[in-house]
Amino acid sequence: MLERFIQAVRTDDPGAEEPAATRERLKSRFAPGAVRRMTQLGLFVGGVLGELQPGEDDALVYATQYGESRALEGFLDSFPSASPTLFQTSIHPSGAQQGLIGRQRSVREFFPLAGGRNLVATAVQAALLAPAERVLLCGGEERGTWLAPAGMASNRAFAFALALTRARSADTLGRLALVPAPETAGALALADWFALLRDRRPFDGAVAPGWRLTLDWS
Amino acid sequence: MAHPAANSVVRLAACDCLTPFGDTAATHAALLRGERALQPTPVLGREGGDAVPLALLPSRALDETCPPTWLQPLATLLAPVAGSGWGTARRPVCVTSSNFGVGSAYAFRRGGESAHAAHGAPHTSVELVRRALGWGENVAIFSHACVSAHLGLMHASRLLAAGAADEALVVSYDFLSPFVAGGFHALKILNVDFPAPYQDRAAGSIGLGDGAAYAVLTRDRGDFALAAQSLHNEMYHFTANKPDGAGFAAAFAPLAAAAAGRKLWVKGHGTGTLEAGRLEATAVAQAFPGAPLVGWKGSLGHTLGSCGLVELALVAASLRTGTAPGTVGSASPTFTDAVALAPFATAGFDGALCASNAFGGAHAALLLSHA
Repeated sequence: MLERFIQAVRTDDPGAEEPAATRERLKSRFAPGAVRRMTQLGLFVGGVLGELQPGEDDALVYATQYGESRALEGFLDSFPSASPTLFQTSIHPSGAQQGLIGRQRSVREFFPLAGGRNLVATAVQAALLAPAERVLLCGGEERGTWLAPAGMASNRAFAFALALTRARSADTLGRLALVPAPETAGALALADWFALLRDRRPFDGAVAPGWRLTLDWS
Repeated sequence: MAHPAANSVVRLAACDCLTPFGDTAATHAALLRGERALQPTPVLGREGGDAVPLALLPSRALDETCPPTWLQPLATLLAPVAGSGWGTARRPVCVTSSNFGVGSAYAFRRGGESAHAAHGAPHTSVELVRRALGWGENVAIFSHACVSAHLGLMHASRLLAAGAADEALVVSYDFLSPFVAGGFHALKILNVDFPAPYQDRAAGSIGLGDGAAYAVLTRDRGDFALAAQSLHNEMYHFTANKPDGAGFAAAFAPLAAAAAGRKLWVKGHGTGTLEAGRLEATAVAQAFPGAPLVGWKGSLGHTLGSCGLVELALVAASLRTGTAPGTVGSASPTFTDAVALAPFATAGFDGALCASNAFGGAHAALLLSHA
């Protein structure tokens, strides 16, 4: 069994908030001037992750199905005069990097995942396998515009960040475990995972072929 | 203090790559002959633009078709690892890329054909490959620009070390499109000049290449071992490294410790940009004194998220055949004396260090040694 303990949880559920409103709401969390160049997903993820104060010795796992949808849309729209800024911003895992670069926070291990049916399972697996004492597991989505109806962008926005440690402490909020379950099949969507964290609801079920996830709250 | 390397030693049971030259054997032979796959190609494909150095698979155009033109060559490469035995809980697949199906997203935007959208996102691109190969659904997808393949190798190694898998398949594919060529051209990194990795010249430039590769990792099968792996993420700037080279040093330090007492050569990242090349060559010389340094992107171009795995296959071939290709496309003067411009014998070496870098100051490296 792979297991870690939840020491902190942060979530952001912005609904249909537009990027300009997000920028205004979250600008105090970033260096002056930095938010002007950040994407909406970068603001969401940077906001929740920043509260956990990532450090050099932390391992960071980042999960998103679609990533920088609006930067991707903007970059595709910019051809034939391709925009260099939108190109670099659209590249995965920019959503997690923007806040960290703004704060100049290096991290040793960084595992960005890029979707798939087993996204949650793989992200949790990567977090539980990392040797670092503290692992930060974050992720989220931003709402796309013209890429969303084509299935290449998310229809909703959210962000989450968890701090996970090997040992239980007095401040432990919960426990995360992955258990091999050979006959099991199933999946947990990233938005459903986010809802579990936001609402502090427990979960015990299949998240990938052969793997069962347990989420307990203290 | 240097962080310890991720020292879950795993074996390399199989490894092969696909480049415009062909498979690993054909590519290794072409590099030994000093051939260059890069060709001047309009940066925006059928829409024209500057002729920049791109290395495309034979008969493959830069503009994407539906289904993608790369799917069949990729399926041919992966034929030895096709079938439902892969993608199960005990035999998981890790797929890595920095491009996935973004060429299809570009084609969808430019041409409006909805069929392209079906595999334009990373997970739908991987689903196309998964179905073509007949894998089960236990497939993990990693993407971290040009260190992507290293993350797949490290995750797979950890699954094996934890007893969570019996063997693991790591697959990486990156095929060029106007999207990525146009992006690097807009950044003024990709221009009409051909790359000359580690050469001290007036202006730097890169080339881009199609590339794909796979590796089967096990605990006890194969003649080579991934003896140690290391990551470091500077988070200093999106497209630049810390000017003091600290990021390179931080990535190399754990591997230098793990490699103590072994005689190594180094396959560097070496895209052809000046500052990163200078920093990397200097850091290699400091961490691994006397180790020859080579880079092959002057011939193959930068295969982006797949470069770590494509070049790992070539490093293994170099150790197996006894000769490593030199730094094709480069000439004196070089940033350090350690840069090997010509092929050299690998018989006297215990292994090789393989390094990759990416946007965001991401660094990844591994130590490949005889098992």
